[in-house]
Amino acid sequence: MPETPPMTPPMTPPMTPPWTPFALFGALAVLAWGAAALDAALAGGRWPGIVTGPLRGAARELVRQRRRTVMPDVPLVRAGVCALPAAAVLAAVVLPLGERPVADLSVGVVWFNAMEVCVWWALWLTGWGVNSLHPLIGGYRFVAQGLAYELPHMFALITAALGAGSLRVSEIAAAQRGLWFAVWMPVAFAVYLVSAVAMAFWGPMDRPVGSDIAGGVRAELSGPDRLVFEAGRYLLLAVAAAAAVPLFLGGGVGPALPPWLWTALKTVAVLAVLVWARHRLPGVRMDRFTRVSWLVLIPVSLLQLLVVGVVVL
Amino acid sequence: MGLSERLLRYAAGRPRPLLAGVPHGTRVRLLAEAELTRRGWPAARSPAEADLLVVCGSPGAALAEAVEVVWADMPAPRARADLPGDLPPERVTAALDGAARHLADGRAQRLDVARRTGRSGGDHGQDEDHGSGMGGPGGLEMAGRGPDRDGLALDRLCLPLGPVLPDWPAGLLVETVAQGDVVQEARVEVLGGAGEERFWDEPWLEAARGRSVTRDEAARRTAAAHLDSLGRLLAVAGWDAEASRARRLRDRLLWERAGGEIAGDVTRFTRRVRRSRTLRWMLRGLGTIGPAPGRDGRVRGGAPDGPGTTGDGSAPRGPGTAGGAPGPAGPDRGDVPGRLEGWLARTEAALRGLGDGTRLTGDEGPRGPVGGRPPAASPAAPPVSPVLSVLSVMPGLLAGAELAAARLIIASLDPDLDQAPSSREAARA
Repeated sequence: MPETPPMTPPMTPPMTPPWTPFALFGALAVLAWGAAALDAALAGGRWPGIVTGPLRGAARELVRQRRRTVMPDVPLVRAGVCALPAAAVLAAVVLPLGERPVADLSVGVVWFNAMEVCVWWALWLTGWGVNSLHPLIGGYRFVAQGLAYELPHMFALITAALGAGSLRVSEIAAAQRGLWFAVWMPVAFAVYLVSAVAMAFWGPMDRPVGSDIAGGVRAELSGPDRLVFEAGRYLLLAVAAAAAVPLFLGGGVGPALPPWLWTALKTVAVLAVLVWARHRLPGVRMDRFTRVSWLVLIPVSLLQLLVVGVVVL
Repeated sequence: MGLSERLLRYAAGRPRPLLAGVPHGTRVRLLAEAELTRRGWPAARSPAEADLLVVCGSPGAALAEAVEVVWADMPAPRARADLPGDLPPERVTAALDGAARHLADGRAQRLDVARRTGRSGGDHGQDEDHGSGMGGPGGLEMAGRGPDRDGLALDRLCLPLGPVLPDWPAGLLVETVAQGDVVQEARVEVLGGAGEERFWDEPWLEAARGRSVTRDEAARRTAAAHLDSLGRLLAVAGWDAEASRARRLRDRLLWERAGGEIAGDVTRFTRRVRRSRTLRWMLRGLGTIGPAPGRDGRVRGGAPDGPGTTGDGSAPRGPGTAGGAPGPAGPDRGDVPGRLEGWLARTEAALRGLGDGTRLTGDEGPRGPVGGRPPAASPAAPPVSPVLSVLSVMPGLLAGAELAAARLIIASLDPDLDQAPSSREAARA
């Protein structure tokens, strides 16, 4: 991360109301549920089934036994599984719910990125710990995926921070009152969306949990382990979509409606696009994608960074 | 028991079935898949995810053993539906209903758990894992080392693929030695099932036996067979949306007796698949079967230049086949997207025969000559079943492939093991 001195003198943010953590948690849960329902609807599900499907799935895992593999490393698996939703929620604490986030850190973008990187850890531990081959291969796949997406992802985040001259997410959102970053740094926005899908191992980038390796990392999970893992997966997708709003889509800025509602609407729109992409695109394998990532995505995101840097100067 | 009982019953409204395909159980598998789609029960990807095991067909000893391992790997609550190959459609529905009821039955589930813990001393982690396709290194032997394709010394792991995996040819077991996720060696086995039925070749076999079969029936079966293969390949390629579209079209052709109106939907499907640049990018260059010396490649479908495609299967093939090469019924030459395109083209070609009420005479089934009648040209040579030539090229194609590529290659060959002789071993590398 380059050290970008804040353009505006650092202001002391007003206290966040004590109910915001609950609002954040509720909003994320609703978004995750909505993503699962939309996914089922696009897959041709019918009306009550698409809404009750995730609930029935959750009920099912609550009454199910854990699957025990031969000589698993149980603490590692538990840590990995629990880290997934934890990383998603912790990444979300710096995202403004309307105008203010739960924790308005001065290094919000770095915090967000650091929490995302915990997903590498979570998937690798889960895949490794259960001591079974398909999850292990899923873990390999996610590490390869991380090598492909992480650098372009970081450059996209830095570009937004550079455009606003701040690493504070609320200030990045506030810097877009005139023009959304998605409009004047479209390459960074596109790279962010691609890498967000990869980070949430969703849709075309879901090969680490792909059906061709029997569910990959989660192949041996059942009962509460699977419930926490799947919940974490959808939460992560929701957080990846929600972060696009303050970083590139102007945050809560919009006519007529209150900021929180604009934030929600924009988040739902991005989330819908990400869910839709799963149905529109076949799986993308890293043995082919990494070349494009390093030879195309990294150079163009650096170029975007340069352009933004020159404009800001 | 109030709450957990209620949760159990609520969850049983939407089980996650794992299908175990068995050779000669294709018809019942298709019936079960159509019924599961109708009910909106999403398929499980592994035993740990499944709570309903649907065995489609009557497995032989080796396959039954593998199915038992999968059954033992399934955590409670669980239920099982065994569908013998000759089960009538309405009984398929009844069997699934029964399994769902068993799943919702708290008492039965508790008994099942008690029985299991009693038998294995409270530790069902001791289940032997070979053959399930899901397990770890079963007897906990340490992985040996060996040089890999990139010149590194990496652990060599024995990774069996199949016989119970999603989107996998029924009865196929591919024993691989893998380093990382790169397949170093592969050995192909066929685990058979009881019965004689060869669902995809049925119209041609019936016609050869002298029964009257319409060309419409053959067209339906051909198109459905290719759509089934397409569904598998697209699912393995990670494109669930188009895979389920292919399967839906297949079901409409077979069970809903869809007429000419289906052609438009099929065209939309083939167009979407053909237009996907991502799919081509991902599949290009995988599993290439080079041109054989005798140029006896099966080039069928769109281009009408192959002399072997017209009329009966007894028509002369390419010039190279006269030398006794057993190659006429092999898989398509080219790579995975080439075979995908072959299926798309042949599906469209077959649909043109829909509604043709004339009598079927040929021997050319969806996967080549069905062997219903001996080839007139060389009655001495036993007809080579198409599946055997597919299985014989498979190990060579898999060696050196990364696991995802290996799965795609296998899906693009999609051997129909209903055609295989019911021996345990069919091919070795």
